[in-house]
This record gives sequence, C-alpha cells and structure tokens, in this order.
Amino acid sequence: MQVVTTDVAVIGGGAAGCYAALNLHKRGIKPLIICKGLVGKSGASLFAGNLVISGRALGNSEENARNTAEFLIKYHNQFLIDQKWAQRCGQWVEQVFYPELEEAGLYFRRDDAGEVVTSPGKIRSIAANVQGNSGVPFMDLRRKQVIRAGIARMEETVATSLLHNADGSAGGVFCLNYITGEYTVVIARAVILATGYSDRLHTRSTGTREMSGDGVALAWRAGATLLNMEMQWWHTNDMAHPPSWQRMQIYPNPMLGSEKSARMLNSAGEEFFNQQQDDPLAFGPYTVQLKALVKQVRAGKARYEGGYYAGFDNCDPAEVETYTTYGKTFRQLGQPFPATMAETAVSSHYRQGGIDVDTTTMRSSIPGLYAAGGVGGHSNGLIGLATYDGHVVAEGVARELATPKAASVSQPQIEAESRRLDRLRTSSGDGPAPGRLKEDIRAVMWKKVGVEKNASDLRSALDDIERIRLELLPGMKIHNSGKSVNYEWLDAIDVINMIDVCELVIHSSLERKESRGPFIREDFPLTDNDDWLAANVLKKSGNGLRFERRPYDLPLFLPGFARKDNLEVAW
Amino acid sequence: MTSVSPVDAPVPTLPPVDGRRIGQAEQHDTLAARNSLLAPGELMTVRVRRSEVPAGGDVYQAFQVPYQQSMRVLDALNWIAENAAADLAFRWFCGSKMCGTCAVRMNGREVLACWEAVEPNMVIEPLRNLPVVRDLVVDRTRYEDKVASLQPWLERREPYAGFPEPLTHKEMKDASKALDCISCMCCYSACPVIGLGNLTDFAGPAPLVQLGQTALDPRNSPEKVRRSLELTGIFNCVSCYKCEEVCPASIPIVSRIIEPLKAKAAQLAPEMARHSFALRDIVASRGRVDPGELVLRVQGLRALGNLRRIWRLLVRGKINPIRTIFGRKTGAAAAAGRLLGNRVGKP
Repeated sequence: MQVVTTDVAVIGGGAAGCYAALNLHKRGIKPLIICKGLVGKSGASLFAGNLVISGRALGNSEENARNTAEFLIKYHNQFLIDQKWAQRCGQWVEQVFYPELEEAGLYFRRDDAGEVVTSPGKIRSIAANVQGNSGVPFMDLRRKQVIRAGIARMEETVATSLLHNADGSAGGVFCLNYITGEYTVVIARAVILATGYSDRLHTRSTGTREMSGDGVALAWRAGATLLNMEMQWWHTNDMAHPPSWQRMQIYPNPMLGSEKSARMLNSAGEEFFNQQQDDPLAFGPYTVQLKALVKQVRAGKARYEGGYYAGFDNCDPAEVETYTTYGKTFRQLGQPFPATMAETAVSSHYRQGGIDVDTTTMRSSIPGLYAAGGVGGHSNGLIGLATYDGHVVAEGVARELATPKAASVSQPQIEAESRRLDRLRTSSGDGPAPGRLKEDIRAVMWKKVGVEKNASDLRSALDDIERIRLELLPGMKIHNSGKSVNYEWLDAIDVINMIDVCELVIHSSLERKESRGPFIREDFPLTDNDDWLAANVLKKSGNGLRFERRPYDLPLFLPGFARKDNLEVAW
Repeated sequence: MTSVSPVDAPVPTLPPVDGRRIGQAEQHDTLAARNSLLAPGELMTVRVRRSEVPAGGDVYQAFQVPYQQSMRVLDALNWIAENAAADLAFRWFCGSKMCGTCAVRMNGREVLACWEAVEPNMVIEPLRNLPVVRDLVVDRTRYEDKVASLQPWLERREPYAGFPEPLTHKEMKDASKALDCISCMCCYSACPVIGLGNLTDFAGPAPLVQLGQTALDPRNSPEKVRRSLELTGIFNCVSCYKCEEVCPASIPIVSRIIEPLKAKAAQLAPEMARHSFALRDIVASRGRVDPGELVLRVQGLRALGNLRRIWRLLVRGKINPIRTIFGRKTGAAAAAGRLLGNRVGKP
C-alpha cells in the first residue's frame, strides 16, 4: 500500500474534474486526478453531441439568449435549479468557455468560407469538429491539457471510500488500482467529487461501464446531504439492439446546417415526435419525447423496451452527412441511411439530483468535501455547465486552502478499508457472481423504478433491494481471487455502492408526491408547484434518513401555473 | 442443363463502395450481409485467448454463445462474462465507438468490439504490439508515452484573436479527419512496422494521427511541428494501408494524415526525408531505381562498413555496381525527368 500526499484529490476525469484540476494547477495548487476509467475517455462528457450557444455569442439575438436560459431552467431542470447559478453559468460560458477551448485548440466546426456552422432556430448550437461526436475531441483536448500541465493521474483506479480527519472533515481517499491490484491512500486537504451525471442502475442506462453511483455513495457514507435523487432523466431514443448500443442515441437535437432533425414513429408507423414541429424551444427535447412516448405506451403503440422507431428519413441526406455522425449507426448495421429508421428503446440517463452544494463554492455539507459537475444536485447536465462547476470549485477550494490545516487521517480507518477490500476479493460464498448481482439490481430498478412509478412498485423495489443486500450479498462468489485486472473484484465493490444509491433513489421517489418532467408518478399525476417546486433534500440521521423540503427562489422564470397534469405540461 | 444467355443473366448489383471495401463488395461481404449471418438464438463458437491456462488446457477457451439481434463482439464477451466465465478480463467503457478502449483482434483482424458484428465462428485475441496484462486487456502505456512525447498540442504562431478566430474548414480538412481518432489502437496493432519492434524508431500510425490533429492545424507554429515530427521516424512508414483498413473511425490514415505529415516533414526537416529525396532524384535522372546508388546516397560510406550485407545484396542481384557506374540512363529517363525534374535538387 502506498501513501500519496496532494493538495486536492479530484475524483473523476470528465469535463468537471479535468477543468477543476487544470484551474487548481494554474493557481499553484497541486491536484491529483483519480479516475475509475481513463481521463477523458470514460463517463458522460465523451458523449457531448454539440454545444449550446449561450448568451449573445456567435450572433445570438437577445431572444436566442433568453430562449437558451428558459430552456435550461424549464426543459432541462423543470425549475429545480438555482436560477442565479444558472445565470452566472450562462455568462461564464459565453465569456470564458468558448474562448478558452478555442485558444487551447478545439476546432469549432467552420464551413469552407470560415463561418462557424450553427444549428438554426430558437436555440442555436455548435459542434466540436462534427455534431454527434463533439465530446471526443473536447475530452481528448482536456486529456492533453492535463498531460501537458504535468497533473498527476491515477487511472483505472476506483475511489473506494473517503477518509476523514479527526474533526470530521474530508482528509483523503482510499483507492484501488484494479489493473495492478494495488491500494493507494491519498491524503489531501480537500476532495472534489466529479463522478458525473449518469449511473448504471437500470438494465438499460446511458452510464458507461464503470459507473455504479460511486460519488453519491461515498458522499452519503461520509454524511453529506443529497437532494432530488428521484429526478431521473431518460433517453427516449437509444438503440434497442444490440445491448452494448443501449447508450447510442438517435440524437433528437436540432441539426447543424439543416432546418430538420430526427423524428420518431410508433409501432403503427405514425409520427409521434418531431422536434422542429413539436417544441422548438426544447433544444434537448428529452422530456418532451418521454411524455410523448408515455402516451404511445399507454395507447399500446410502443413499449419502453422497443417497438418504436427513430431516424432521419425526413431529412436531406447531404445535410445530415455534412456536419453530423448520425449515419454511422445505421450504416454499421447495413441499413440504408437515411431512408430507414432504427428500433429504439428507453435508457435511464442523467440524474438531475445528487450532492447538495453551496453553488458559490461547490462545497458539500461536509467540510473539505466538494462536488462538481453531474454528481452535484444543483443542475442537470450540459458539458458547459459541468465545466463551469470545475471553475467554481477551483475557486472555492483555493479559498479554503488559504487556511492551513493539518491532516489527521487515522490509521484504523485505512486498515479497515484495506481489510474490507481484501475480504471482497476473496468472497467465496456459494451465491451469484458480483456481475450477476449488478444485473439483478438493474432489473429491479428497470421493472419497478422505471419511467412510470407508483408507491406499491417502489415499496416492492425496496424489498427486493433489501433482499439482495441481506440474502445474496453475503453469499457472493468471486471465481478468481487474483489481484491483477480483476473486474469481478471491481464489480463486488460496485454492487455495494449500487445497493446504497438505489435505496436512496427509491426512498426519494416515494417522498416526491407529484409528477414533474421526467419524474412520472402514476399515483400523483399532477405537477404540483404549490407544494413541490422544492428540493427534495435527503439527510442522514442516525442509521436512517430524513427528508426536508426546500423551496426554490424564482427570480427569472416562473412556471405560471399551480397544478397541472404533468403530461400536459410542455416541459 | 439449362443455360442462361448472358443477356438474361442477373447482373449482381453491388452497393457503391469506396476503395477500402472493394474486396468485401465483390464477395458480397457487405455490412448488411455480415449483420444477417445469424438468426436470434443460433449458437456461435467463440474462442477467447486467456492468460491463465488450466493444467493441460488450451490458451484458447471455447464458449457457445447464443446470437442476439444486431449482436456486437462486445455483447458476446459480456454474455460470456455474465454466463460462463465471470473472470474474463476485457476493457470497455462506452459501448458506442467513442472511448476506443475495447479493441481486440477477431479472426486475425483488429476490430472495435462494441462496433463489429459477430461472426458464427470467432477467435478473439488481444491487440498486438502492446503488452498483455491479462486476457484481452493490454497495457496502453507505450502508446500513451509516445503520444505525450510528441507534445501534440498547439503552440500558436499568432496570438489568439478571440472567439471565433479566423479559420476555415478548408484549412482544417486533414486535421479534421484526424480529430475523429478515438485512440483505439487498432492501427497500432495492425502496423507491420511497429511489429518490427525496436528495429525502427517509427512512432506508429495512432501517435501520428494524434499528432496530425495539431500538426496539420494551420494555427500551429511550424517550429513546434518540426520538433514533434523529428521524434516520429515517420519515413519508416511503408504506406501499406493496413492502418486505414482496420480503422473503425474510417480515418484515411495514410492518405490524409501520414502523407501530409511526410510532406510537412520534408519541408520543415528535410534531413528526415533524405531517403525519399534521393530516390526521387535517382528516378528523375536515370528513369529507374538504382538500389546501389540509393544505399550510397542515404547511408554514405557507412554502407561499406557491413561487408557481409553488401555481399548478400550482390549475390541476390539487389545491387549491381557495374550498372550503377556505367548504366546511367534508361529510355524512361527523359519522361521521369520531365515528371519529377522540377522538384529535384532539394537536399
């Protein structure tokens, strides 16, 4: 076991984590990035299709600018957002984000004459190199900036627990490099959780392979306050087949250089979604699509597992091919493009909720522990927002580190974690493999904590998860107890995080007694702005948990109604 | 026997193909065909190369895997891990051709596991040219270190002009192709020159594509590009196109990245291209290749230091000193000179 000392441990190597590390480095503070995957090559940031134009950048009109803000607050967050934070974020994205990226070398797609290519319409966007693939060069640039700055990285390394100082503040991270099987204790003066928006808690999820709710689980065990854990987003049009393509989306966003974009058909071949016609203000029209699909499912014309279709058969092929990668999926299946449609299904996507932070510093309720990007509960995701968090958290951490503090991580907590991981590696019960347990958990969530929820299914899901925890987990069996590249061992660590986070999600879902955007309760179909325009705050108490309701300030945009059937609300 | 007159014979209609798919189209090995080889439920035989071999066992462990609709190689590996060998080690993150971490060799050819359709009989092996850590997981360090050493980032020739800066897609055309790279290492595994190990200092196709992202960017300083190119050994590339053939991102690696980089190297660091310049010079003046002169001009008198090799070259007729000294010109010299002459004379 090695011990590494750094100023700040950054857990996560996506847009937020990388930008936080780069900014800390610029301030002379030493960060260490701990990444469960590879920095810039795992997690949700890689999937950024395009970048929304904020404010008055690139010829945006006053109306465009307002539309973008309205979209973010209504469609993207259903008003569960700190509107002042959103405003600060928008200004920063306009003034700092694009220039910083371009100066560093990111290629915002031009035409041959040199104009930056944008999507038309009420909300405009741009792409890094090509639409549908913007996250790849974006995150590749971040990876290289991190390498160029000489920032230390620990990759394919999972943070298994947070270490605390004698006064209860965050003091470090216990890590396992699952390629070498070595433990590392990272002692740090501050810890930033930047583990992202997505998790793989459902049979079909957009979260990448390594995601298992780690950030939330670690923070919760450390005693941090969470919020809005029930606010689960869904992709309505990801590939139904094969399973590995469950996070490959038929992008519904407006298209660069075209007046058209994707449409969706039900099992009878009837169009039920077309972004350009249905809701031009819904730039990432995920809730609009989801509500449309719910109606189709209820009418027996689609299933959440498939039986409906998405594609670009209404578009001019030359326009789709010029600036997007959208044809690749179809072509790889040998399907004519854009003439044919693909069968699609629902995948659980981002979680709007997460760790409760002070949005001026990104500090959690635990001293020394910060959250940036998707794992925070303050906003739903766009790559610009996650990056802004990286900026804010670096400032917040820098202010805290100005006051010297001695590390006092006790040896027993390190030894206990080391023993716990050793025991997991040598699990020798006669029960299922950890990978199987992960699938079992996802199946429970898919069946009972899916798109449409109700109290009796949610309670039954809690029972199922409890049974997995008490009856199956103790008998878990690992077939190979070697240390090197042991994904079974990693799965065993993940399972425990998944169980904890699933329980929090289910409890939170039971608590919010309304429907709002993508959160659909059959037993509470109304969007209830009188009682529930509020954060569903979750706090640890003793061995249990308790909820508090914290209303949002509404300084910029108002919903304009008190109660209304959620399926009839545009956003 | 019924005969069909040529007029009546059905003319097979081939889908439009680009260069890299020519052989596939002729054999009807199209993507559509490959995606419909199997029906759901049919069993495939998948043999996976393992690191830990059971006593008396094979390094290849065989599995029977049921086909699922549109199944990818990665789905087959996931099925095996979930149902037959929980300890099978293979790397993947996104499953969507973005992270580029799941590349393996399937039936001897580099593929991205999440992207390639399965086949009824598959042998799955780890990539070549990188050390295997366990089963299908390779150590990417060698590649990562090489990329970092090339410093593939911008050092601007002009101060940044503010967003959006003047830039056209025309100027970014080649760099833009390189930006599609997901560093999956398929090309690195397929490259025969990398396969030679330390015999050359060739950086390899993937690091060159990574470098091309900024070296072919007009915003970069030529001095910076020269320093990076000098570390690539780029003229060891034999333009065999294996890299292009396997690239899952369909990047024209040779024609749009390596060739333009070679041209840049010839211009910015001419000493690197002395072999190419000498070859062109010889062809322009003689109308043919003269290996003897080529060796002398590239290696100078050092060439005489290895008498055994010279003897071998003589015996095999690779070099012919008489012809080198006396057979100056062929009938093609005039035409060759006309075609190449205006460019001859650089170092």
